[in-house]
Amino acid sequence: MPSTDHILVPEHELMSDKEIKELLKDLDIVPENLPKILESDPQAVKLGAKPGNIIKIERRDGKISYPYYRIVIEG
Amino acid sequence: MVKTQHNASHMVEYGEPVGIIAAQSVGEPGTQMILRSFHLAGIESTISTSGLPRIIELVDAKKKPSTPVTYIYLESRINKSFEKSEELLKKINEVRMSGIAKRVLENFSKGMIKVVLDRQELEVEGLTAKQIASKINKELDLDADVKEGNIIISTHTKNLKEIRAASIKIMKMLVSGIDGAGRGTIRRDEKTGEFYLVSGGSNIDGIMGIDGVDKKRTTTNDIFAIYRLFGIEGARNALVFELKKTLKEQKISVDERHLDLIADAMTSMGTIKGVGRHGLSGEKKSVFARAAYEETMKHLIHAAAFGEIDSMRGVTENILVGKQMPIGTGSVKLAIKKEDLAKIKPKQ
Repeated sequence: MPSTDHILVPEHELMSDKEIKELLKDLDIVPENLPKILESDPQAVKLGAKPGNIIKIERRDGKISYPYYRIVIEG
Repeated sequence: MVKTQHNASHMVEYGEPVGIIAAQSVGEPGTQMILRSFHLAGIESTISTSGLPRIIELVDAKKKPSTPVTYIYLESRINKSFEKSEELLKKINEVRMSGIAKRVLENFSKGMIKVVLDRQELEVEGLTAKQIASKINKELDLDADVKEGNIIISTHTKNLKEIRAASIKIMKMLVSGIDGAGRGTIRRDEKTGEFYLVSGGSNIDGIMGIDGVDKKRTTTNDIFAIYRLFGIEGARNALVFELKKTLKEQKISVDERHLDLIADAMTSMGTIKGVGRHGLSGEKKSVFARAAYEETMKHLIHAAAFGEIDSMRGVTENILVGKQMPIGTGSVKLAIKKEDLAKIKPKQ
């Protein structure tokens, strides 16, 4: 498998159930409101994510970084 | 989501129509771009699409860019030396038989094809006639021999059609380099002093497989290639990078947050979607919003036939029917608690 590491790709991390619960409460949303990521996405495959999982992405924007969340969907 | 880093006063107000503001902020300077198109003559070896055509290409999510460019960065053990970089470039440069052959002579009575090679081209590419002959033997399953520096191929047939087909095949054969990688040039980064390669092809998958190529930094302007290799987040960042670069080239300053939002919207479904008829606008939930954009009858008839429901939550559909749209103060609704309702006494 080719390397999926690249300067364009921020860090991806699988979230635990507890973290997901806190996140959804904090943002006051249902998981379906989140942006999506396909199950077949190279980064999702690398983490072994299944549909329904939420991936936390540590986006870098210059010097600051902020979290972004994507829910894994089939495809 | 950004509140932990930014002061609350920098945050967008609730109900702010960020999408409309982004569209106007990019659209207004876009109108100036058509009139102002300049080129730097001579410097660029690969003239890539720039200006408005490139912006349209990006936001429409075209599968292939009209001028693919790959920026190949090299590992630190190579990138300080020009000679080593040149050596690696030769491995990548796509050389076809037609590029190094001076003439092709077909002898139909003997069933032979003679390829007269261009000595200078061979020297430049660092190839020998022998290497090419063995490549023809291996890949095309023909008998090739070197005679006086030229290649003689016997086809074992006297059929005119077959000989002609063989000669076409030979001319198209890849002699060295990577299929679809195009031809590159060496550039030097003024800041760091390292050498890197710029190639006019888009076969980033193949280029990544070459030893000595920095797989972490090598990139391309082909958003879909990035998406295939590195996933949706990589594609999103590549999209923002390309949008910013194109606008900067034209000396147009747009706040990067507008571009971030466009890229986020385009990648929010996990795949790259254009903004037009086949993308974001064409896949809106509201029937009226879709009908107001393009192909009005198609959407209305489909909605009527299948009993679609419009929940009237968007901006477009509310303007269409003359209701207050849900942005700004319009996005707040008044409600009364049930227990408070009981307290209200009717006037006597």
